[in-house]
Amino acid sequence: MTSPTAALQADERLVHPEFTGTAAEYFRIWIVNLFFTLATLGIYSAWAKVRKRRYFYGSTRLDGDSFDYFASPKAILNGRIIALAVFAIYALAGELYPQSRYAFWAVAALAFPWLVVRALAFNSRNSAYRGLRFDFQATTKQAARVYIGMLAVVALTAGLAFPWFMARQKAFVVSQHAFGTSRFECELPARRFYGIYIRATLLFLAFAIPGVALTGYLTFKQYDGSISLPQAFAWLAWLLPVLPVYIGYAVSYAYVQARSTNLLWSKVRGGGLRFASTLSARKLMKLYFGNVIAIACSAGLLIPWAVIRTLRYRLANFSMIVAGSPVHHMNPSLAPVGASSQELGDFFNVDVGV
Amino acid sequence: MSVIEAGYFDGRSSVKRPVGIVVSRGRMKIIGRDLEQEFDARLVRRSLRIANTPRWLYLPGGGACVTSDNAAVDRITRERRYERVLHKWESRPAYAALAVALVVGMLWLLVDRGVPVAVERIAEHIPVEAEAALGRETLRALDERMMRKSTLPGSRQDSLRAKFADMARAAGETTPYSLEFRQSFIGANAFALPSGIIVVTDDLVRLSRSDDEVLGVLAHELGHVKHRHTMRRLLEGSATALIIAGVTGDVASTTSLAAAAPTQREALALAAAGETREPSRGEGKRIDFTGLWKEDCEQLYGLQFKPLEKQGVYSVSLCGPAGCLDPGTYRPNTTVQGDPTYDVLYAEEILIKQPRGDSTSYVKCASEVMPEVPDR
Repeated sequence: MTSPTAALQADERLVHPEFTGTAAEYFRIWIVNLFFTLATLGIYSAWAKVRKRRYFYGSTRLDGDSFDYFASPKAILNGRIIALAVFAIYALAGELYPQSRYAFWAVAALAFPWLVVRALAFNSRNSAYRGLRFDFQATTKQAARVYIGMLAVVALTAGLAFPWFMARQKAFVVSQHAFGTSRFECELPARRFYGIYIRATLLFLAFAIPGVALTGYLTFKQYDGSISLPQAFAWLAWLLPVLPVYIGYAVSYAYVQARSTNLLWSKVRGGGLRFASTLSARKLMKLYFGNVIAIACSAGLLIPWAVIRTLRYRLANFSMIVAGSPVHHMNPSLAPVGASSQELGDFFNVDVGV
Repeated sequence: MSVIEAGYFDGRSSVKRPVGIVVSRGRMKIIGRDLEQEFDARLVRRSLRIANTPRWLYLPGGGACVTSDNAAVDRITRERRYERVLHKWESRPAYAALAVALVVGMLWLLVDRGVPVAVERIAEHIPVEAEAALGRETLRALDERMMRKSTLPGSRQDSLRAKFADMARAAGETTPYSLEFRQSFIGANAFALPSGIIVVTDDLVRLSRSDDEVLGVLAHELGHVKHRHTMRRLLEGSATALIIAGVTGDVASTTSLAAAAPTQREALALAAAGETREPSRGEGKRIDFTGLWKEDCEQLYGLQFKPLEKQGVYSVSLCGPAGCLDPGTYRPNTTVQGDPTYDVLYAEEILIKQPRGDSTSYVKCASEVMPEVPDR
């Protein structure tokens, strides 16, 4: 891949984000969040989410300035209570009247575009940089076109249109975002996404097929009686067939992540800004495997360390290309920065994890 | 009176200007080149203090100041008590260590003590109709997948129902229940479903020497019904899965692992059909399997391995105290060793894979061959 700096124009400069977060600092925030969340039977989780996000935003500096996140925890809590109530009704009703599940799924599918728009708008409007809010400006109708219309195409083509859908969906999310009044543009060629997904599939098969064949052979030999595992290692017989499939999945997942993120950012521009991402699929994969092992061996205590190092790697491979010295302006239709969402007077500014 | 160095944004554009902030007598002054503003300090909102990340002061009118001087921000604005407490917890290693200990303790308490108590409460408040519907649905699901209509004569079913009712009445038992007879590949078995449905398999009835043996098993199941064990196990599984999902929230994003919780129906099927065991491997030498095998020798019911003419080949049939069903009712012929259904651990212990995929361990309880029961 060519270095983003190679294509730098005369009046452009390259800006690398600076990440000041540390594993030790985040560990303290994480464990205290966890403690209060458990102690309050989950209620604190909304406050925990805001503190966590605030820490990541505040620890990220771009061109000398950090980000801020000021969502109201109460709005998040409301969203979570509603989500929990809906889930409880779904679970109970589904158990009593199994047919009601279909109705629920139909309603959920119809409500999904609306939820996506609410969630992305909530998060972006509660994020700011240099005293200006971000925004997500898509209408529910536009989201429905992507998440219902295009997903229907994926279903009708038995999944063959999936890379095309991913390209359209990612472009949709990015191009509906704005910083102040500066909109971002993003045109993603579906052809490139097909390349990524085809290579990822081959990569998965390259790991999974020999692995499954080998373990299949070994299992056969075992029943045959020609080899036998000692009692203490009997669990290996169950782990071995699963392992190559998981490795294949993780490798292709890391590959898709790295390549599609790189491709996505290379196509985003707006407000005098361009972006570049140089993630390496190989390094991301090593990072994921290291994380799995570290988290498993530490009974979860290294989760903060894994989160921080993943974020640091991602940010170290991200850069912004600034043309001249662009000035961005406030979007007059949004409340001034710092005012919490409740004061926007919009009851439906609930946060949902999409 | 000290000056706090800060950056100023007017909130209308992204241009940053260096300013100094001075607070005196409740008034906040922002002073920079071509810039002087004054506010009531109480109207200034500030961002949360998290570690040592830069702090924002949001001014009335839409402007904002940013500074790294966290201590000064805390000094000049009103700090609420809980903010100070949270910051203390988040910034001192000793508190972090305490939090680790408390989290471990609470997780243990929650799963070991809290969940059963909560389940107790919830189970009490589950409406009778809801539990009845749950029991009905589960029975229907099991009928579809694992069971068929009973082949026992109606008169025999009725006589068992009557005897069991008498026994329950004599014991002063008032728990409502209903007794269902089914034919199933799970062998001699009985289990309780929510809302008091007790299912008995034909094999259990056939393989018993007397009705008293059947009634003994049914009395045990009525105990499960009385204490709503199945309902509780179901709720406990869901609650534990929820806690795990909540605690491991952000693991998925860093490991490409997605947390998976077993669905309720699977949990029920497992609860209904006994425990699962980890399968294992056997040795290479030839073993004589002839005899009666049971999950544990105290049990009344088991499997008989009877040698066929060809050496090393056995027929397997279901047995109870009264004797065994016709040879091969469980499996007509098998070599045991080398058959993927069986896993030989020792000469006296084997694992048998159940049709659902999990295995049950059987130990050898007798080497003699028992006679077949006459068809009743």
